[in-house]
Amino acid sequence: MKFSKLIFLFVLCFSLTSCYEKLDFDQLDNYVYEPIFTSSLTSFTLVPGQFFNSQGVQENSIVDETRFEIFEANIVKDNVVQLDFYAEIKNEFDRDVTINIDFLDDNDREIYTFSTINVRSGELNFTYLEEIEISQNPDIVNVTKVKIEASLENTGTQMNPNSTEEFEFKSSVTAYIQTKL
Amino acid sequence: MKKIIFFIILLITIKMSSQNKQVLYDFADLPQTLLLNPAIEPSYKFHVGLPFLSGISSNIGSSNFKLTDIFANDGRNINDKISSVINSISSRDFVAINTQIEIINAGFRLRDNYYINFGFYQEIDAIGYFPRDLLVFFNEGNATNLNRPFSASHIRYKFDYLGVLHAGISKKINDKLSVGGRFKIYSSSINLQSNNNTATFTTVNGQNSVYRHVFSNVNVNLLTSGLIENNEYIDDASSIVKNTFFGSNANLGLGFDFGLNYKISDQLQFSASLLDIGFITYKNNVKNTRISGDHIFEGVEFEYNANSNIDYWAQIDQAFKDQLPNTEDEVAYTSFRPVKLNAALKYSFGEQRRLLCYDDVYKDYYTDALGVQLFNVFRPLSPQLALTAFYEKAISKKTRTKITYTIDDFSYANIGFGFSTQVSKLNFYALVDNILEFSNLSSANSISFQLGFNLIFN
Repeated sequence: MKFSKLIFLFVLCFSLTSCYEKLDFDQLDNYVYEPIFTSSLTSFTLVPGQFFNSQGVQENSIVDETRFEIFEANIVKDNVVQLDFYAEIKNEFDRDVTINIDFLDDNDREIYTFSTINVRSGELNFTYLEEIEISQNPDIVNVTKVKIEASLENTGTQMNPNSTEEFEFKSSVTAYIQTKL
Repeated sequence: MKKIIFFIILLITIKMSSQNKQVLYDFADLPQTLLLNPAIEPSYKFHVGLPFLSGISSNIGSSNFKLTDIFANDGRNINDKISSVINSISSRDFVAINTQIEIINAGFRLRDNYYINFGFYQEIDAIGYFPRDLLVFFNEGNATNLNRPFSASHIRYKFDYLGVLHAGISKKINDKLSVGGRFKIYSSSINLQSNNNTATFTTVNGQNSVYRHVFSNVNVNLLTSGLIENNEYIDDASSIVKNTFFGSNANLGLGFDFGLNYKISDQLQFSASLLDIGFITYKNNVKNTRISGDHIFEGVEFEYNANSNIDYWAQIDQAFKDQLPNTEDEVAYTSFRPVKLNAALKYSFGEQRRLLCYDDVYKDYYTDALGVQLFNVFRPLSPQLALTAFYEKAISKKTRTKITYTIDDFSYANIGFGFSTQVSKLNFYALVDNILEFSNLSSANSISFQLGFNLIFN
């Protein structure tokens, strides 16, 4: 047998005995990547003394804010479909406290305002959940700041600035990602 | 992105069978068997491999799952299939690739007792353990995995693209014993590696915050050489290839192979070899990234202090930088080659024939042989063992066949077949592995092949 025939025979043998199941790589087009990431957002603990100014006068409302840059990450900005804002609140004060939360953009423009959270006096296990559908609020991906205002109920009497009663606030944000490859 | 994910999936599903060339080992006096055991005593006067065609080998395999598990047209949801694959794999599973192409290969007899051989081959050698926790984290996120530590210790990989210049000698000590050695100079073009990492990331319920995100015992090293120059990826293919041929930015190393071949009796023979006992020092175009430390993130803690204007976000950013510093350096490093062990016991029987080796030297041989072989490669996590039983048959003086049955990490039923023949001076050999899977290559656990052409002179 000629050498070339031997090689041909080997290749033929391999070709005839081997076959493969047709694979459908286009299925990847239907693959949806949908992880859920969660993170603590803000927390604070207030005592009555923090509501008093340097003149010793109670101010019924205090505000703080921080930059909040989760949308800097393109995978979040381009693919988030839902944001859950969750808060756990404990109010030991002798009066109700309302919390107003705003998501702002770089120019301090309000992009998303939460409904007012009213926490009654003595409420120690208050929880709050707000689900934000991105399709209903597409501008939310422009958020870069979070502002939280805590306001005391005006009862007509001042709190005791030396009281150790606490108002505790803890929050988290959960991002639902959904994207195709 | 799609291509990257597809490539990752392909790598996950394709698990190479770790450089084991069980069909080739000590088969048919092929010159390429000298690369697996430098003590094998060839029966010819000299040989020359056809340039670029004398030895082409590649191994492909998979375990736990197959390409069809993801890409079969079976009507199942692709998300379910990918999740199922991720869940079926452990961090001890790995992807490994070894491909060699001989550029030149030649040898000649020096007196009756020595056979000197030399050559140059290119090799891609890579192993990557399955970073299961990382994939689960990115696939599912942390929200559904509270209290679960995601470990970065699963990040273990090594990739080498190199050229190997080698010269070996086998010496027949006496009628029973022959020994051999090979000296290798490695010329590595690209190396990427990461090993011995520690780190866990865990999200747990917090006391002062809803969650505590705990980065614990972080010590991750990502070493690269030949990939980045002046902070830009090297994309000049010709310079990458040149460096495997001892180019100006090649990273050099030395290695040795050792082997012995002992005839216990006329029909019983023991052989063994240790390959690639050596190292490469990487000092050209090195770029290493290291992350270390411990950190706990609990979100932003408001102070409601009207007198201060605190930039909380900057504080968080700085805390990450201080406690989990991410540094880059260009410090040279040394890496050892994966050492391979081969051992075989071979019993010859059948019809005894006489073969003209060279000049007026003849060699008696038996037409049949049975035996067992052991292969081991020392990998970062654990050795990879393979045990092979084989039957070798000489159909004629110039045509030989070999059938192997191998048990290894990937398969308990791997049958291989080898064929070597010579017409005049031209030798051709072809070896394939796992032929039981030929009926459906798409669902094959592993497939490997070696083939080549040599000119052999008696």
